[in-house]
Amino acid sequence: MTGHSDHDHRHDDHAEIVESAKPGYYEMMEIAIRELLIERKMFGANEIRQQIEVLDSRTPALGAKIVARAWINPIFKARLLANGRAACEEFGISFYDDTQLIVLENTDKVHNLIVCTLCSCYPRPVLGLPPDWYKQKPYRARAVIEPRAVLAEFGTHISDDVDVRVSDSTAMVRYLVLPMRPRGTEEYSEDELAALVTRDTMIGVVPVTVNARS
Amino acid sequence: MTETSHLVRRLPNDIGGLESPPIQRTEHELEPWEKRCHALADVLDFHKIINTEEKRRGVEALGAEVIGKLTYYERWIVAFANILFQKGLLTPEQVALKMDEVEARWSAGQVS
Repeated sequence: MTGHSDHDHRHDDHAEIVESAKPGYYEMMEIAIRELLIERKMFGANEIRQQIEVLDSRTPALGAKIVARAWINPIFKARLLANGRAACEEFGISFYDDTQLIVLENTDKVHNLIVCTLCSCYPRPVLGLPPDWYKQKPYRARAVIEPRAVLAEFGTHISDDVDVRVSDSTAMVRYLVLPMRPRGTEEYSEDELAALVTRDTMIGVVPVTVNARS
Repeated sequence: MTETSHLVRRLPNDIGGLESPPIQRTEHELEPWEKRCHALADVLDFHKIINTEEKRRGVEALGAEVIGKLTYYERWIVAFANILFQKGLLTPEQVALKMDEVEARWSAGQVS
């Protein structure tokens, strides 16, 4: 997090989190609202705990498995591009919300990038929670107006004969980039392919490379 | 264009296309209360108490200064409070009293 610490109630983000620290103002508000709603039986305390477990279970590893399957299985890929949510659910990844998922294929001609200019909508069921930079103003403001400059800041240079397409997420429609399979991976197993696919490749800010992980 | 028209031409969340400085590639692990706040948002959505778009508009309704100074989940919890007040599901007094209780519990060494 950046640009704060002008309030005396706020703990220093860089400090160790101490269990006995006094809850901050907003944490006390969160506790109060949660407890009041549970007291009024609007939902059960277990539901919050269960949802925390769901959130913890969602990581980019899920999206990476989908990408690897799409790379090796053209029929799955066609289904994924036709209806992202249905294909992921067939694959065993549940959607805990009522969002739709559109999967965008990168090719030699098109490079896709996803953003949420209005806030922070993101394909959480398959990628988990977004990084802070995805939620902050510079990425949200600039991705739609100068995507090539944004990509360059991530070290990604897209040649002029490739279209850059930016998709702006909404509360109901989320996007996932299907990155290009790197050359030299013809012999890779599905698991080895999945291990190459990082979160940022599925946002579209970097390509998949064979040296990214070793 | 008058001096104030920029204030109404774009609401605070509507920043797509504006000039902005380079991206700082920041990340942080959520604090426990931030994760609880996220889970609360999802549960409120599941129960059709507050949906994602209501939450987004609730944050926007905080205004540019509050949006600029509060962190991401601070904005969410304040927006939830306001929306719950508007829907008549909670009152400001109930939240204030419960926050006092939470603080008192912590002071007594019993905060959960």
